Order: sequence, then structure tokens, then C-alpha cells
Amino acid sequence: MNNLHSIKQNALPDALPNFRNLGVTLRILLISNGLALFQALLQANGWADVPLRMMQIATLLTPVLLTCLLLLWAAQPWLNRLAYWHGVLAVDVLAAAVTLAVYYFGDELYRPPGRNDGYFDAVRYLLLSIMVCAILLMYFRWRSQALSRALHEARLQVLRARIRPHFLFNTINAVLSIVRTQPRQAETALEDMSDLFRMAMADMQDLVPLRQEIELSRRYIALEQLRMGERLRVDWQIQDAPDDALIPPLLLQPLLENAVYHGIEPLPQGGSITVALRRSGNELRARVENPYLARTAAPYPGNHMALQNIRERLALLFDVEARYKVESGADFYRVEITLPYMKENAI
Amino acid sequence: MSTIELALRIFIVDDEPPARSRLRDLLHDCSEQVALEIVGEAGNGQEALDKLMETPVDVVLLDIRMPQMDGVELAQHLNKLPKPPVIVFTTAYDAYAIKAFELHAIDYLLKPIRLKRLFEALTRARAAVPVQTEVLRDLLPEPRKFLSIHERGKIHLVPVEQVLFLRAELKYITVRTAEREYLLEESLTALEKEFATRFVRIHRNCIVAKEEIEGFEKGSEEGEGSGWMVKLKGLDELLAISRRQQHIVREFG
Repeated sequence: MNNLHSIKQNALPDALPNFRNLGVTLRILLISNGLALFQALLQANGWADVPLRMMQIATLLTPVLLTCLLLLWAAQPWLNRLAYWHGVLAVDVLAAAVTLAVYYFGDELYRPPGRNDGYFDAVRYLLLSIMVCAILLMYFRWRSQALSRALHEARLQVLRARIRPHFLFNTINAVLSIVRTQPRQAETALEDMSDLFRMAMADMQDLVPLRQEIELSRRYIALEQLRMGERLRVDWQIQDAPDDALIPPLLLQPLLENAVYHGIEPLPQGGSITVALRRSGNELRARVENPYLARTAAPYPGNHMALQNIRERLALLFDVEARYKVESGADFYRVEITLPYMKENAI
Repeated sequence: MSTIELALRIFIVDDEPPARSRLRDLLHDCSEQVALEIVGEAGNGQEALDKLMETPVDVVLLDIRMPQMDGVELAQHLNKLPKPPVIVFTTAYDAYAIKAFELHAIDYLLKPIRLKRLFEALTRARAAVPVQTEVLRDLLPEPRKFLSIHERGKIHLVPVEQVLFLRAELKYITVRTAEREYLLEESLTALEKEFATRFVRIHRNCIVAKEEIEGFEKGSEEGEGSGWMVKLKGLDELLAISRRQQHIVREFG
């Protein structure tokens, strides 16, 4: 059972969304206001009445919403440490408390002198805020479950690429060819190979330091260079890469694998892959560029899968704060990834 | 049997240097039991063809997956040599090809190659006959990238992408590139079928590269022609379109 432990299959544990993420904030604003619009449509007597109703709802909703978002932003580190259901409860209590507070301090804004049924209004708003809160949290839970599949698939895909016969047997063959003449180099190659397998089997849920991913990519390239020799060249532009940045594992290596398989191998004279990593303000930018013969390369479904998976993982982990761009021309192919810069010890 | 004259002459083709060196090691191990001689090696199809025209060999150990021209295509071109060698394919993995090899009892070696298997293949090779070109053509899931052309005892490889048109005349097919003409001994119908994505038929005896069509001109009405002529890029000569193929003027015009 021991070895099973290292290949965890269970799903990502439920977690509250990261309230400091811009994408999460935008989603909360959009959904809450969408629900408000829905309510306005239900209450209105005619089209002209809709904006009026919407305004009425917004006068209470907007201050509550903004205060909540601000408080959630501040409470994020603390919420992070709570168990999921405690977190849910905390968020609900917070929303309810803010609603009541805004209602009472709002004074005549929400309680025109003509109306006396303050108790009913208070309970009504309280229930509404708890409901909206529950809807939002359900949505985020559903979203993270839908996307967390991508994390598992990433590992499976990388594993599959590793045992892709083309890579596996050709590499073993290359190692065999140097066993007699360069035993030391053969040893290193086998060590590199086991590192690549180990990484593919590791748990995909945590972020890893950038230097670890660079190291892994270098080992992968070393193995391919053993086979392809001079034909495979890599231009590492990583002097400015922040070593302490955290990134999702297997972000860079699959991109390099694509570049080798689709870019370099079909070229008789080989070519050069550019890997550029740098920090730009609060962002980390990664760029992988390779020569590409569009004419001769047969469309290959695996390529699409690896890229699709990286995109899904970025969406799950960083929402709108990560960007992903593919450019291809007559003779090149370029993937650019931008993600928030996180420092190793800051989390 | 083990006299020097009877030594099996072997040639290695693989784009990966370590794979070639591994084969050399293994062949060296084999040479204690089988009289053999490594005549040479090549890293790509063109180089292999050039060297094999100079020095004929008995057996070619040929990798399937190589850039530019794969092994199965090269085997077809090698069959045009005066004395075609016996081909033993080597591959790490090619599900499609392996199935076909089994079907046609063509010898192949799986990488990493075992000494015993190599030894068996070499032992069989003496008695083996070259695989038929037609069979090889069926093995290749995609069209060839080169046409191999006999000329004054040599074999030229003409990249298909450079060919402007192919025209059947009497016994031969004229292969026209921007620079010059070659003569090819194959059937136009088979060529049309193989390269259907690149060429379109404009006449009973002529197919032209779709990409190279520059325009159409109305020529003089005569004979069976439709009166329309095709102008190809970089070529002064106009090619007649038959009445039956007149629809291509609309499709490509």
C-alpha cells in the first residue's frame, strides 16, 4: 500500500475560493448583480419599472457586497486555515452580519418613515443574503470540482508521454548504445529518466519552486540530446528568472516536449528551442518558441491535449490572473504563459 | 561459408547517432558467428541512396521514423538500385507498420535490439528476397515525399513539392520542375491516386500541382480541347485542359 500513497488518486479537497483573486471578485460581482436583475424582473410591473427596481435593490446590495468583499479580502489568510465547512459558515455569518449592520446603519435610506415593519425587512434581507452567499459558494465548489479533473489528467498525460513508446524505447536504446563506451554518462541518463518518471507520478496539487521545474526540463532535454545530438539546441534565457517563484508542476516540461516532438524532430538539420523566463512586476512570464514546419507536420492530437490541460490548470489555480497565448507562423510556434508571481515563503 | 568473399555486406541507416553506434556494437558481437562487414552508414535517406549507389550491399538495416523521408519510403527508392538490398527495418514502435510487416512477413527489429534477434535476421537475410515495391507502397500511409528517377545509372530524388506537373508520353511520365524535366517510369493513374491532395487532372495525360496554378487562358479552339489552357507559376508553357476537365477552370479560376 505504501507505493499507492505516492500516486494519490483522490480529488482535490473542497476549498473556499481565493478571495484575493481578481477573477473570483469579478465572478462574485457578476453573479450577485445577475441575481438582483432577476429579482427586479420578477417584481417589476413593466419594462420601465425594471431599472427602478434594480436601483432599489442595488442601494442595499452594493454597500453590502463591497463591504463583504473587502472583509473577505482581509480575512483570506484566516479563512484559508479553516476546514471547508467552517469556512462556509464563517462566510455566511459574515455576510449576514454585514447585511444587518448596513440595514440598521442605513437608517432612513432603507426604512422610509411610512413603513413600520422593520422586523420583517431585517429577516427578509438576512435570509436573502444567506441564500445569495450559498449560491455563490455552491458555484465556486462546482467550478473547482469541474476544473480539478485537469490536475489529475495533467499527471496522467505526462505519464503517458513518458511511456510513449517513441520516447521510452528510443531513450533506452540510446542509453544502451553508450553503456559500453561511456558508462558514467549512461548512469546519469538513467538517473534523469527516473527523475522524469518520478515527477510524473508525484502529487500534482501543490505548487513547486520554479528552479525545480527548470531542473526537470534540463534533465528532459539532456535525455533528448543524447539521442538527437547536435540537432537539438536550447537557448535558455533564464538569467532574470526569479528562483523563488512558485508555479504549478509540469508547466514547462510538457511545453518543451511538444517543441522537441513537433518542432525539432521533423527537421533534418534540427533547430533551436528558446526558453525565456522572467519576472515582470507582479507577474511571471514564460515563453517557449520553436521552429515549426507547418507543411510536413501531421496534426497530432496529443499536442492539443497537453496545451488544453495547461490552460485548464491555469484557469483553476489563477482564474483571470493567468494568461495563455499561442502564436504560430509559417516557420515558428510560440507559447506564452503569464501567471501571478508568488514567492516561495510568502504562502 | 566463412570465407571473406561471402561476408554479408551491411549498411546502417538511422538518424540518431547513438542508435547507429548501438547497431555497430551488436554487429561486431555478431561477427564472431556470421561473416559480415559493415560497409557504411547514413543519417538520412538522400545520404543513404548516394552511398548505396557507389557501393552495393546485401543488407540495409533501416530505421522507420526519420525526418524528411521515412524508412518505408526510402526502401521503395532503394528498390530501384541495380541490385536491390534486403531491407531489415528497425523501429522503436510503429503500430501501423509492424502490423503490416507481420502481414507480409517482412523482417523487422524492435529497439532496443537484442543480439539474438539481430543474429536471426542476418541469418535469414542471405536467403531473403527484396520486398516488392508495391507492398512497400501499401505500407506507407501517406504519399511519398520524393520521386526517384533513374538517370545515367544514377538515382535522383526529386521532392514532390517541387513538381509542377506530370504528363504521360508514350512510355514515360515527364516530371516537370521549375528548373528542368525528368523521365519517370510509373503509371499516371497510380501517381494521381497517391498524390490526390497535391495534383489535379486537367487532361487524360496530364496532372498539375493545384498550388502552382497561376491562371487560365482562352487558347485557340482545336481538337478535343476545351479551348482553355492552364498557366503554371514560373513556367511559360501553357497546358491544355480537356473538355471533360473543363470544370476545373471554375473551381480554381
